[in-house]
Amino acid sequence: MTDHEPTAQPVDPPIWKRDFPFQAAAEEEVTRRDFARYLVAGTGALAVGNVGLAAWTQLRTINRGEPRAIVALNAVPAGETHLFRYPTDADPAVLLRVGDTDVVAFSQKCTHLGCVVYHQPDEERWHCPCHEGNFEVITGEVISGPPLRPLGRIEVEVRADGMIWALGRIEKP
Amino acid sequence: MTVSQRGRRTSSAVLIYVIILMAMQVFLVTVAAEAFLADEAGLAWATAAVSVVLFACAAGFLRYLRP
Repeated sequence: MTDHEPTAQPVDPPIWKRDFPFQAAAEEEVTRRDFARYLVAGTGALAVGNVGLAAWTQLRTINRGEPRAIVALNAVPAGETHLFRYPTDADPAVLLRVGDTDVVAFSQKCTHLGCVVYHQPDEERWHCPCHEGNFEVITGEVISGPPLRPLGRIEVEVRADGMIWALGRIEKP
Repeated sequence: MTVSQRGRRTSSAVLIYVIILMAMQVFLVTVAAEAFLADEAGLAWATAAVSVVLFACAAGFLRYLRP
C-alpha cells in the first residue's frame, strides 16, 4: 500500500440522524456509482428504443390505398371541396376542385397533431384551427404555424366518364 | 489536491457527463419519433446510431467512477 492510497475510514452518521433518529424499514443509500449505473441503464434502454423505432420505420408497410372512384366532377363546383375517406374509412380526406378539370386532394389530418384541416378560400390555404397551422392550397406545403411536414397528398385524376378517381397516396409529397 | 479529492471530483464530472448524455438520449427519442411519423428511415437509423454511440460513451464513463 502506498502513502497516496486512501484508507477506508468508518463514517460517522450525519448530524441530522442525531436530531431525527428514525429509520424507515426500507431505507437505504443509493451510492453515486449506483445512480450512474441506473442512468447508464436508462440510456441503454433509450438506445434500444431508438434502434427499435428505426427498424419499425424501415420495415412497416404504409397503406397507400387502392384506386377507386370518389365523386363525379360535375358534383363539385369549381373552388369547392368534397370530403371523403381514403384509403380507409378512418382516414378523412378532402378534395378541392381548382379549375375546370383540375382537382387536388389531401389527407385532412394536419401533420402537426392530426387535427382536421379545412379550406379557406379567402386566404387560399388549408387551415388547421387547433394550432393555427396553414398549408398551401395546391401543393399542401407548410405556409406557417407549427407543422413541419406538408399535408399528405392523394393522387387524383378525372376520367373520361366524368368521375374523379383517387389513385393512391403519394409516398413523398 | 489529494488523491481522494481528485477522485471525488472525477466522480462528480463523470456523473454530470452521464446526466448530459441521458438528456441527449431523450432528445434523440423525440427525433426518432419524428422520423417515424415522417417515414424517414434514413434519419431514424442515423438517430439510432448516434444513440448507441452515446450509450457506449456513458458505459465507458462508468470505468472512471470510484467503486
